[in-house]
Amino acid sequence: MTDTTPAVPARRRLRVSSKLFPYLLSLPALLVCIGILIPFFTAVWYSLQKYRLSQPWNRGMNWGDNYLNFLTDSSFWNTLQVSLTYAFLTVGLELLLGLGIALLLQKRTRLNNFISIMLLMPLMTAPALAALMFKLMTNPNFGILSYFAQVLGFADMRWASDPSTALLTVVLVDIWVYTPFIMILLLAGLRSLPTQPFEAAALDGVPRLQQFWRITLPMLMPYVLTAALFRLLDSIQQFDIIYAMTQGGPGDQLMVFQVEAYLNFFQSTNVGRSAALLLVLWAITFFLSNLFIKNWLRLRERARGEV
Amino acid sequence: MSIRIENLTKRFKADSVLDDVSFEVPAGETLVLFGPSGAGKTVLLRCIAGAVEADEGSVWLNGKDATDLPPEDRGLGMAFQNFALFPHMSAEQNIASPLEARRIPKAGIASGVRRVAELLKIDHVLDHAPRELSNGQKQRTALARALVAAPDLLLLDDPLRNVDAKLRFEMRLELPRLLADRGATVIYVTQDYKEAMALGQTVAVLDGGRIAQIGTPEDIYLRPASRAISRLFGDPTINLLDVTPEVDERGVFVSLSGHRVPLSPGYEEAVGRSAVLGLRPEAVLFAETGFPVQIEAETPLNEKTITLTTTARGREVFVSRPAGAPGPSGDKAYLTVEGAATLLFDKATGARIEPASGADEVAA
Amino acid sequence: MHHHSPIERVLRGIALLIVVLFFMFPIFWILLMSLQTNETILRSPPSIVFEPTLSNYAAIIAGRLDSNVASMGIDFMSNLMNSVILSVGSVALALVLGVPAAYAFARHKFRGSEDIAFTLLSFRFAPPLLVLLPLTLYFQQIGLADTYFGLIWVYQLICLPLILWIVRGYFEDISPDVEHAYRIAGHSWFSTFRRISLPLAAPGIAAAALLAFIFAWNNFIFALVLASADKQPVTVGALAFVTASGIQYGQIAAAVVLSITPTLALALYAQRYLVEGLSLGAVKG
Repeated sequence: MTDTTPAVPARRRLRVSSKLFPYLLSLPALLVCIGILIPFFTAVWYSLQKYRLSQPWNRGMNWGDNYLNFLTDSSFWNTLQVSLTYAFLTVGLELLLGLGIALLLQKRTRLNNFISIMLLMPLMTAPALAALMFKLMTNPNFGILSYFAQVLGFADMRWASDPSTALLTVVLVDIWVYTPFIMILLLAGLRSLPTQPFEAAALDGVPRLQQFWRITLPMLMPYVLTAALFRLLDSIQQFDIIYAMTQGGPGDQLMVFQVEAYLNFFQSTNVGRSAALLLVLWAITFFLSNLFIKNWLRLRERARGEV
Repeated sequence: MSIRIENLTKRFKADSVLDDVSFEVPAGETLVLFGPSGAGKTVLLRCIAGAVEADEGSVWLNGKDATDLPPEDRGLGMAFQNFALFPHMSAEQNIASPLEARRIPKAGIASGVRRVAELLKIDHVLDHAPRELSNGQKQRTALARALVAAPDLLLLDDPLRNVDAKLRFEMRLELPRLLADRGATVIYVTQDYKEAMALGQTVAVLDGGRIAQIGTPEDIYLRPASRAISRLFGDPTINLLDVTPEVDERGVFVSLSGHRVPLSPGYEEAVGRSAVLGLRPEAVLFAETGFPVQIEAETPLNEKTITLTTTARGREVFVSRPAGAPGPSGDKAYLTVEGAATLLFDKATGARIEPASGADEVAA
Repeated sequence: MHHHSPIERVLRGIALLIVVLFFMFPIFWILLMSLQTNETILRSPPSIVFEPTLSNYAAIIAGRLDSNVASMGIDFMSNLMNSVILSVGSVALALVLGVPAAYAFARHKFRGSEDIAFTLLSFRFAPPLLVLLPLTLYFQQIGLADTYFGLIWVYQLICLPLILWIVRGYFEDISPDVEHAYRIAGHSWFSTFRRISLPLAAPGIAAAALLAFIFAWNNFIFALVLASADKQPVTVGALAFVTASGIQYGQIAAAVVLSITPTLALALYAQRYLVEGLSLGAVKG
């Protein structure tokens, strides 16, 4: 037996450096994290202030006033209502459409695969540009959609410029862009379902409609939930489509959270109110994103397990 | 390269996978690390290779503390149970990787790879990607990669586990010669006791993260340290019967279904204790007289026949006899026991009760 | 799996046709519009029979808009260039920052690793203006306002979580034994990362990079808030173009077509990875 006294200090140093190593690798990402957190907390700070860029001399803490004012502020309630309406309307319609299309394309035929790839194109179009495209298509002078409306008897359809159809128009753009997202997620979900339950049901002579309600839909539910939450998170923050289409108008018809906050900041230069608005929106998305991440992690574990 | 493991402990969360493991392998010898799955064999091997960091204890290579040495500086070769071939490289590039790391010139690498590939009979598939290789070829490629740089220490993690029976049989004959030729120190992990007996000069039995026994294969078979170890070696497994040794004027004996089975001398100390009698199936013989059993089933294998019998109290006893040896006629028979081949374990602790003569001391 | 009656098959066919028409038509129509002169665009009723012209594209590429009233310069090509610089720059930076971190998160479950990963992820879902508005004020103070670097840095908000979470999954799929085997063969940590881990995760890295590029290209709000005219990408530029050019509809359409072509082409090229990327690895395509 040789002397077994180990050189303790040297060993400890080695171990410490190997422990530090992963931190070193993720340090840049950590810095970006901090870089995001600083403006976030600044926004929290602003939201507690009376702060207008145009009146720097008038700046000061007013603590919860910005938030308290919301309670009696009809334009805030309008914003909340429009945002929620927009979010639930788009996600609801997109879910129905996306599920329907996914079911149509479920079989792995060459045509179906081709179509599902083609349907990705709207999703890959920048939402702001998609809004621009629809703006051209609904132009009263030459827009093809205006022409179709006219043929169908709606001679005076003014789409996004008319308060009664403005919401419908931006929802249409949202549906055009984002339905493929839900479709492609649900299609992947549908195609990954095990086949045995369906074979068993077919042997037992279960009608197909019943198969859908009793087997397909319950098994697809995790995917539906993930897709819905994902979209809800995006949709309640929608900015690009609405801003590019109408900048929140006509009137305050489409003043969703981020558009309102943007205009508050840059037009009314009311930083305090803008920040408070965004924090209310953040609270909603924080709640939703926690739900989503839980769901998504579970699905992700499963997807990784299949490899 | 000699290797010494001292008090190695590894925990995952609250479970200890390795619990105070210590042993030593002199340069040029082969140690077989044997144990059931989950015993910690693979983790132990990885600690030696440096792929897993132990929580406590140390690894000494050639008398130097290598505990904190990164794997690339340990200069050893390792073959993984799952082969762990680099999927994006050809078999040749796989095998060449240890030589590249040693900065050997290109020509030297090519000839080195060719030599070991020829030895392992995979020279015709060198340009294949791992996914194009059969399991046997993958296994040989992994082995070639471990051998190619002629490391002083070879770690083989159950290399025959994932290959088919025929190849396993061939390799079991081939490997000891191959390893002996190399003159390297080898640690060979297996959970097949036949492999353990075929390969090892020394076998270390790992159970529940602890070294349960170290000795020659013969030692472990004939003088297992505990009831648990006796069950790990041998096919069919050893017969274990609860007994209480008695003594009379002819010596110590146990009583099986009223029949007196004498124990070898030296067991006086066990008289009256609750014990377990261990009978290797091949030490139980059919005879004209003895303790009566009922024949339940017979399984003729090529070289032997296994018979399952039950005693009057319904305890199962396996009997193994060489093919061609006379067997029982009818469904009743009598068994006798070769006295020298009986083992006795303490019922409470499971430890083997050693005969007092001290003649067959178990090597520690 | 099922046997369909002929009627059902016809109905399915019709439904699919409507779906394809609805989703393809706007792109098709814009493409047609971009090949027409203003006269044919304004024709009523609209017709798909016209003499195609590349004059709209020529005008945009030349940077001159000639109408019968006046002639004006429009710099849409520089918007395109900005989009390229911003998207390529952000993806490159996200790869440099994200790939090593993804590896660390996949291989070493160190303290705080999940927290960092989740902070980044949760900001992927937070309102972007929340971070952007304070940043405009900070950027003016530290001189990052209206620089490519400042924008690229903010674009990490989209690109980094994407790279981190997708690539991390690919690293996790590599058997640790393969890496151990290479190190035991005598190679250093870094050489193992370079020769084993990176090549094996390459498809995932490529997919994540393509997706990050698409999202960066399509981003609107970051540049709208932070970029002045000479740094604006196409998404913001096209909007400004509409305001500026008034009734030059053919050119607007051509600008839109030029703006969406790169992402559509990339998407078609990378469609195999889109599902996985869009769901951040939650759904295998």
